[in-house]
Amino acid sequence: MPEACEVIPQTSTDGPRNEHVIRVRGLVNRFGRQVVHDGLNLDVRRDETLGLVGGSGTGKSVLLRSILGLHRPNAGSITVLDQEIHYRQPGPFRQWGVLFQGGALLSGLTVQENVELPIALHSNVPVDLRRELACLKIFMTGLTLDAASKYPNQLSGGMRKRAALARALALDPKILFLDEPTAGLDPIAATEFDKLISYLQKNLDLTVVMVTHDVDSLFNICDRIAVLVDRGIVVDRTERIVDNPHPWIQSYFGDPRARRARKATQNHVQRQ
Amino acid sequence: MTEFLTAQTSGTQLTISLRNDWRFDNVALLVDELESLEPGQAREITFRCGGLREFDLAGAWVLYDKSLDFEEQGYESRFEGFQAGHLKFLQNIIDVAAVNEYDPDFFNPPPRHRVRERLETVGAATNRGFEAVGHITRAIFDGVRRPTLLMVGETLRQIHETGVRAIPIVMVITFLMGIVLAYQASDQLAKFGVTIFVVDLVSNSVLREIGVLLAAVMVAGRSGSAFAAALGTMKLNEEIDALQVMGLNPNQILIAPRVLGLTLAMPFLTVFGDLAGLAGGAFICVTVLDIHWVQFYDRVASSVGMTDLWVGLIKAPFFALLIAATGTLRGMQVQGSAEELGRLTTLAVVQSIFLIIIADAFFTVLFSRMGI
Repeated sequence: MPEACEVIPQTSTDGPRNEHVIRVRGLVNRFGRQVVHDGLNLDVRRDETLGLVGGSGTGKSVLLRSILGLHRPNAGSITVLDQEIHYRQPGPFRQWGVLFQGGALLSGLTVQENVELPIALHSNVPVDLRRELACLKIFMTGLTLDAASKYPNQLSGGMRKRAALARALALDPKILFLDEPTAGLDPIAATEFDKLISYLQKNLDLTVVMVTHDVDSLFNICDRIAVLVDRGIVVDRTERIVDNPHPWIQSYFGDPRARRARKATQNHVQRQ
Repeated sequence: MTEFLTAQTSGTQLTISLRNDWRFDNVALLVDELESLEPGQAREITFRCGGLREFDLAGAWVLYDKSLDFEEQGYESRFEGFQAGHLKFLQNIIDVAAVNEYDPDFFNPPPRHRVRERLETVGAATNRGFEAVGHITRAIFDGVRRPTLLMVGETLRQIHETGVRAIPIVMVITFLMGIVLAYQASDQLAKFGVTIFVVDLVSNSVLREIGVLLAAVMVAGRSGSAFAAALGTMKLNEEIDALQVMGLNPNQILIAPRVLGLTLAMPFLTVFGDLAGLAGGAFICVTVLDIHWVQFYDRVASSVGMTDLWVGLIKAPFFALLIAATGTLRGMQVQGSAEELGRLTTLAVVQSIFLIIIADAFFTVLFSRMGI
């Protein structure tokens, strides 16, 4: 086995560390007479994990879909990695990966083929290497060769999420979008998945944007939390957001379950 | 010296200095450049990684893969000069590779035995066919033996859905077919100066064949596909399982009403088809061929009898059974994916039309042998 030795300290080659990779300005979304977003601004910093929360109907998914160019906002501009996002126009496909809520794996292809698909579409990598790279991503998400050869409907919910994550990572993206990554998973599987995301985020220098309802996930892996309230957004560091006086935020984080999750995280931190 | 690396030999040392972006976008070029490396006399190979700009998993993989190749060929290989951030990627690859065995043959299927596979497919299909006939028969018996209010209502709804609502389209189609028949026949029969026989030809073929056949084909397209798609979606949505656990027999409340409803509706639909076909023929006779409608009526009355009507009508319930059985059966076979649903819906329509034509040929031969 080749060994790695002699490490030079990291010199910054990707520009300033706090550069904003996603920039949303003055976003307005209306459905009929119902205003969901009114002049919403959001910056996502490089290499951070941002959790996106809000009550139902506050437009979490709409915001995510606007950023991905799947929804046409009524007004506002969105920039991802210095590229302006337009509805249904090619976005920075190679730089972002998306994990949809249900996984959205193509049901006619095996897991392996699902992961190979973006690689095949976006590069001229030879078949052998494509297969190896796909396997690498599948292994990284904790699946085995055996699972790779199966069709999505033959997998359990948790494995399907992992497979979908492998596909999202296929092109070595810089930004990872997660829509309710732990929804439908049991608490143990959810914690495992959180750990996996956090591991990948740290090791692959990913910027993660995550829509979630899972307070455990929020406290475990998010650096900052963005709360959608009053047609706008409140963003703060995870440990400070709980002190925000806004009534919805107070009732959300004041909820017994949220409090328990918070306490568990604090204990965990103290033990370390 | 190339875009991504420089190779330098001194004695038994080969030093490869990497530079530029070793990332996914360049991975094909990287593989080419690594392939062209020739260690020659060197025994030890060092990858100098200080000049790397961007590095990601894909880049790390090809680099690691190459180093393994060198090791396998008996060279010593090592990395040096990594930046902390870059080292992480390589470490990741090594971690993953240490736990998992990648087997390039895993995805290459073993050689296939085509003949045996084909025979097995045919065998399985035959098996499923018999099983299916059993299921459908069972479903209908279940339904008829203990009819419930729910089932009666559902059957009426199916009669409305598959029969009543199909009347306009069936009538339009057979009317047009009556026109076509009359036109085609008049061209040929005029040569013999017996234009009046157009009436015989149209009324005979419409009553015995065209009316029922066209109605059946239309119903196969309309309702056969609807049955398969509806049941298939319910299957995917676990609705059928839900019925089962609520103590309701899916056969009884889903399959039996559809089969019964269509079987009851089809003869009536055929009557409407027959009428429209005759009307189409009459329309051409009266407007184009100068046959008075009273004359047309007399000719029809003398050339066809009740037998001809029955010959057509008797086929209707059989066709309906074939369509309903194929449609519901294919629907119930849907499993797992949306693609499967589409495939089986198509199959339901194609197979039911195919079966209708076969059955029709069978009936024609049978009736001609019986002399009717």
